[in-house]
Amino acid sequence: MSEEIDSSGGAVCEEIDPAGAAVSGEGDAAALLREAARELVEIGVAIHDVAAHATAALTDRVALGALPRAPAAGYQAQRALMRAVTNGDGLGYAPAGGRLATLAARVGAMTGAESLAVRVLTTSLRLRIAAVVLDHPELAGDAMLGRLIEAAAADRDLEAIRALRALLRDRGAVRTLSGLAPIFGEVLALRALLDENPLNDAAAWLIATGKGYATADPITGMSNRAVAVLDTGEGAARRVDLSAAEAARLNSHGSLLGFLRNISEVGTTGRMLIQSVEGPDGVVRHVVQVPGMRAGRPDNASPQDLLGAFSSAVLDSSPYSRALAKAIDDYGLPQGAELALIGHSSGGAAIMNLVQDAKFCARYTVTHAVAVGSPIDFKKPADPRTWVASVTNQHDIIPTLDGQGAGGCFDLHPDWYVVDYYDSTHLFPLCHGIEHYIANIADDLPGARDVIDGRLGPYRGVVVRAQAYLLFDRVPYPEGFPFLTVPTYPADTSQGAVELPIRCQNGSSLTAYFASDPGAAAGLLEGTGLGPAVQVGGRALVAVHAAWNRRTSLGGYREVHLGVVVPDPWRSGSLRVWPDLLRNADRRRSGTFLAGSVVDSAAVCAVAPHLWGAEPYLAPLEFRLTARGARVAVGGLVTLCGLLGPGLPASDRDLVGYAGRAGNTLRSCVRTRGSCRVHPLPRVRLTVGQADHPLVRQLHELGLDGARPLLCLSAIARQTLRGAGVPVLTT
Amino acid sequence: MPAVPEGIAGHAGVLESDARALAECAERLREIEVRLEAGGAAPPWLYEAVNAHLAACAEAAADLVAASARLRTYAERARP
Repeated sequence: MSEEIDSSGGAVCEEIDPAGAAVSGEGDAAALLREAARELVEIGVAIHDVAAHATAALTDRVALGALPRAPAAGYQAQRALMRAVTNGDGLGYAPAGGRLATLAARVGAMTGAESLAVRVLTTSLRLRIAAVVLDHPELAGDAMLGRLIEAAAADRDLEAIRALRALLRDRGAVRTLSGLAPIFGEVLALRALLDENPLNDAAAWLIATGKGYATADPITGMSNRAVAVLDTGEGAARRVDLSAAEAARLNSHGSLLGFLRNISEVGTTGRMLIQSVEGPDGVVRHVVQVPGMRAGRPDNASPQDLLGAFSSAVLDSSPYSRALAKAIDDYGLPQGAELALIGHSSGGAAIMNLVQDAKFCARYTVTHAVAVGSPIDFKKPADPRTWVASVTNQHDIIPTLDGQGAGGCFDLHPDWYVVDYYDSTHLFPLCHGIEHYIANIADDLPGARDVIDGRLGPYRGVVVRAQAYLLFDRVPYPEGFPFLTVPTYPADTSQGAVELPIRCQNGSSLTAYFASDPGAAAGLLEGTGLGPAVQVGGRALVAVHAAWNRRTSLGGYREVHLGVVVPDPWRSGSLRVWPDLLRNADRRRSGTFLAGSVVDSAAVCAVAPHLWGAEPYLAPLEFRLTARGARVAVGGLVTLCGLLGPGLPASDRDLVGYAGRAGNTLRSCVRTRGSCRVHPLPRVRLTVGQADHPLVRQLHELGLDGARPLLCLSAIARQTLRGAGVPVLTT
Repeated sequence: MPAVPEGIAGHAGVLESDARALAECAERLREIEVRLEAGGAAPPWLYEAVNAHLAACAEAAADLVAASARLRTYAERARP
């Protein structure tokens, strides 16, 4: 079945049908070249075996042990054998088989010595490249690429490096990689076979002969498995809810494009999706939909990272596939439930790891596996009944990372449905994106789409259930563990029950201490039973505390408080106030009387008086904090802005607040965890507007308009626990 | 110890067989070249590459035959 759709940016498709007959859209010449290349591999392997036999004769201990019996004849025999395995005009430098011979071969490789088998494989690789060039005339017409290929094939190192540098300079890394993508494996294998690095020869041999996954980086020779084993973890999955908008965009009816669009919707966010579909026969089956690699750090808590992609491709089992298995187990399927696995990029490699896991396939019946843009050439299904489809763009470099790409001449999986196509988009990573594959399958590959959709027939029904999972390399700590792992209890408010304590997973804060008018401060404390205010140089110490609680059990919100720092209400005037202010909340008696508060969340504004006594104002708040500076704005009323100056590291301090409610005083605590910085020379300045607002009035009365703080504490990342206020008798 | 000469002779036999295998490889190389040329698919460098491989196969086969003969002599002389 051949499919050519290309006229103006369409795709040209080369498919291998399930019956095993290779069919192509590029004509007889390329097929002849590929067939010749495959035959040359057989010849190269046969020559390699011959060299191994000669080496075995040369190193045979029995033969060597008999030398004293016939030294002259033995010496001549050894000399003849030595010539056979080192004659540059014959087998070349060809010690093979056994550890000693491998060592000798590596030493020879370092001097540039080659064997006849390697030279024949080189010819095979060049024929593979020639076949690809017929499909990709842009390669033939590209003088710079041609120069690189010729230099690599002729073992002209310096010229190859110069050609590569010229390419990188002229087009940049992305365009160079994109241009090379269809012949990436072949060029790398050529270089590795012919260069003087003995460590990459085994990987090159595997790529050239198609015998297995490239075990090492073909450039450096660094073991792929050595890198992949860095990706550790038993894998874990937790149910997560998609947002309403995401859930609304999921397909409601099973189809290949629908499943791929779901993968696009879930995105590379560390999540995956399982859907149950009621097929045309009324049977409910399940579709596991797995995205590719997540951008960002090469190794993070998710198996969808770079290391996860690498290990999924190289190893038989990886944290990614183990996490998928746990998600599927959690989904609650009966023994033998029918599954279709759909994956993109590293997700395709991960689902194939499940497909080749005999235990997984004993628990479930994996009927279909569809990998899109994935390196899966050397995966082997445990259940021969699993129908496998692979869709790859020849300019996508990711599927070629196992060493087999557009130039492949081996029918590695005659029973798979393989769609290896190309279109006018040659730029990587654009052509690797799930959206690009979706567009190609939707618009340019209708035949392939029909075939796969046809095979997915039992899954083409109404979606009756869907569940997303967040995947992890290893079982994650409970959220906020251990600080936020505390007993909770409901507290009744006029707004309904609120779960306390309020737990903030991720917040930032800035506290600025000012010297203010003592009379005004005393006025704020009048009748509270608190005070007098803690004084610094005859001025009252006042705090402006601002925080952005990004993720809390009450939702995200910002808050700003104005407070007067007060000593122990029952032992006021004590000299112990300063060390007391440094104590943790559970032992602190001094605190801050909350004179005015503003929050930007209506929910928090409504419950605050019941919980803490203070009656905050609701206003838009701005909070920005970096290591260098801060900006806090309360509507258009108050601004605290500027550089924080040098900071000394410290641990974040708990907060103790006193507030008045109906003649009572409530003491509430905010326990904090995280690091903060103490800024002894802050350059921030408080600017107070002229609006008629209680907070504005208080700040003016305290004389803080235009004031700089004495000291600032900043915490860029912290967690907090905030319980309800407790009434205390202060009078 | 008859096992020693027989072992050496065994190697000789394998190498003779390998020499024939190399001749077959050379024959297959020729056929590949002919096939590609007939199909109009032969790259310009193929003739030179295949010729080099053919010459190497012939030389290697000769080396193996020579080594095999030396091994047989060695096996005879090594008999107790």
